[in-house]
Amino acid sequence: MTGGPMGHLKLTAVTKSFGTAQVIKPTDLEIEDGAFTVFVGPSGCGKSTMLRMIAGLEEITSGTIEIDGKVVNDLAPVKRGISMVFQSYALYPHMSVFENIAFPLRVARLDQARVDALVAKAAAVLKLEDRLHHRPGELSGGQRQRVAIGRAIVREPSVFLFDEPLSNLDAALRAEMRVELSRLHKRLGNTMIYVTHDQVEAMTMADKIVVLRDGMVEQVGTPLELYHRPANRFVAGFIGNPNMNFLDVTCRAVAEGAVRIALPDGAEAEIPVAGAGVAAGDALTLGIRPDDLTIGGSAGAQLTIVPEVVERLGNQTVIYTATENGTPVCVVGGGFEDVRPGQPCAAGFDPGDAHLFRPDGAALGRTIDLGRLAELA
Amino acid sequence: MINRYKWWELVIIYTGMALFLAFILAPFAEAFMVSLRPLEKVFRVPYRFLTEDMTIRPYIDMWTSVPGLWRYILNSFFISCAVTVLALLCIIPAAYSFARFEYRFRNGILTAFLAVNMVGAAVLIIPLYKLMLSLGLLNTYWAMIIPGAAFSVPTGIFLMRSYFLRIPRELEDAAYVDGASRLYTLRRVILPVALPGIMVVTIATFIAAYAQQFLFALTFNSVTEYHPLPVGLYQFFGRERVLWNELMAASLVGILPVLFVYVFLQKYIVAGLTAGAVKE
Ligand SMILES: Nc1ncnc2c1ncn2[C@@H]1O[C@H](COP(=O)(O)OP(=O)(O)OP(=O)(O)O)[C@@H](O)[C@H]1O
Ligand SMILES: [Mg+2]
Repeated sequence: MTGGPMGHLKLTAVTKSFGTAQVIKPTDLEIEDGAFTVFVGPSGCGKSTMLRMIAGLEEITSGTIEIDGKVVNDLAPVKRGISMVFQSYALYPHMSVFENIAFPLRVARLDQARVDALVAKAAAVLKLEDRLHHRPGELSGGQRQRVAIGRAIVREPSVFLFDEPLSNLDAALRAEMRVELSRLHKRLGNTMIYVTHDQVEAMTMADKIVVLRDGMVEQVGTPLELYHRPANRFVAGFIGNPNMNFLDVTCRAVAEGAVRIALPDGAEAEIPVAGAGVAAGDALTLGIRPDDLTIGGSAGAQLTIVPEVVERLGNQTVIYTATENGTPVCVVGGGFEDVRPGQPCAAGFDPGDAHLFRPDGAALGRTIDLGRLAELA
Repeated sequence: MINRYKWWELVIIYTGMALFLAFILAPFAEAFMVSLRPLEKVFRVPYRFLTEDMTIRPYIDMWTSVPGLWRYILNSFFISCAVTVLALLCIIPAAYSFARFEYRFRNGILTAFLAVNMVGAAVLIIPLYKLMLSLGLLNTYWAMIIPGAAFSVPTGIFLMRSYFLRIPRELEDAAYVDGASRLYTLRRVILPVALPGIMVVTIATFIAAYAQQFLFALTFNSVTEYHPLPVGLYQFFGRERVLWNELMAASLVGILPVLFVYVFLQKYIVAGLTAGAVKE
């Protein structure tokens, strides 16, 4: 690896249309070199398209893409210094693992000694040394995945693109590969952009998450920023598992640094958020994560809920409930939660944990101290 | 696998297959039997399948009755090979383009190709004759090779296209990302992966070329030395008598090259060559 800045990526007003359909709305995005960035979003939101545009596989309709300060709109992928691992592995079935990994080097006409050395290096990183003479068809899923990664790292690109590389692996292998990829990133230190719709992958691997919806960037931030300070209802609902609960509430009063709301059953609570642009009487949406609700209720606000399905996972209990007017609410409690389907109970939450959203979906600013979380990183 | 058929279903299936095979193979069996009989015993009444007077003499005599026979067989083989090579040179790039590129009238052109095939060579023989005449190709090998290739191209494109369509596009994207040009990708990635398909098309084209050369040879060529086997066989039709036994012997020997090509190429038609390319 050479020193100096490498893999700094900047998108300015980039759009993409297929025919008349604009699948990427004007997008500005900046990715620092060396960052591990994850694109998440629901299926069909344009993640692959965005990645393919960065790769140079898809022409952009308008805007500019810069890598390390150079506009690369019209450059072929190799000239951009990127390499890509595809959603399917896209290995060459008729070539050995060695030749698969060596392919970019063969294209570049490196001499055999260089090829041997570079392939050996990549194979060592990915622990593929004793598989080099096999065909892809003789490998397991995880090994094929590593061959695909090997082919991508062998020419030492400055930006690395992954399109859902782990989506077809079983859970155990996914977890293993996730750790391996994070390790690889630490070791190589180059920019990686990783597409997934797996939350856990996004939260655990990313330095920075980009949440996409319908071709638009909804929010960019660190995993914890997105979790604790989602910019809008979509991001709030998308990040976190199980999903955040949403309840329709009414604004009663707006004070300095707090909004007083009426819960569906009439109870009132004061949520410590900035009340800009909200007036008494407005319909708002209250967001509360399943783990922030406690059965039995203690301090703060209270809801009355009726459990419908109770899943006991040993260390925790996932309780699917509904409020009196039928809004579904999910609660995650401890392993010994005393609830039974059909028996109403109270659930309490600390108003400090709640989120409030305006009717247009935008979140009211929370006062949570992100500095404390940053210290943990 | 669980045996899904009842015994009587199996009986029906096998009877059907036996009937079908008998229907197809009976002419060959009879041709073979005739080729082993002395000429005067060919039309023996009553018919007997196996007789004591069987001999391999026709297989020896045919070379002297029609001295050019070996030449006709070689001509046939040569013309078919040339047709196959020429056709493949057109089929592979054309099929790749139909499978991968987007352009105006793409489907229209494909349909037009197939429409030509439906009309067939026989209908177009007169215009083709004029064409050959004005190009000065009559009475050359080209007169048999070019039309032969032209008429195998449409089916070939159709077959080959479906093979190319089965190759994942990401394979090409991957090669492109790694810096390979279109042609490099075609040569190093697409063609090797499509090899079984290419073999199928090669065999199909070769067999079709072998079978269809009669028409073109008969119409466009009157030079005896250039005749392929089907036309050459006419020389077994004498003024007073037809040498049926030698004719059959020569026909059977004439089939051998096709068999040879088939056996030789068939080992490349291995299933599952793309195994491991993409996630299943
Ligand atoms: N070649 C194309 N022609 C027309 N529309 C396309 C093309 N490729 C993608 N699209 C459209 O663009 C949108 C985004 O597709 P894309 O493949 O980027 O989604 P994605 O976020 O990767 O989804 P997934 O998570 O399912 O992979 C989709 O609505 C899709 O229909
Ligand atoms: Mg995708």
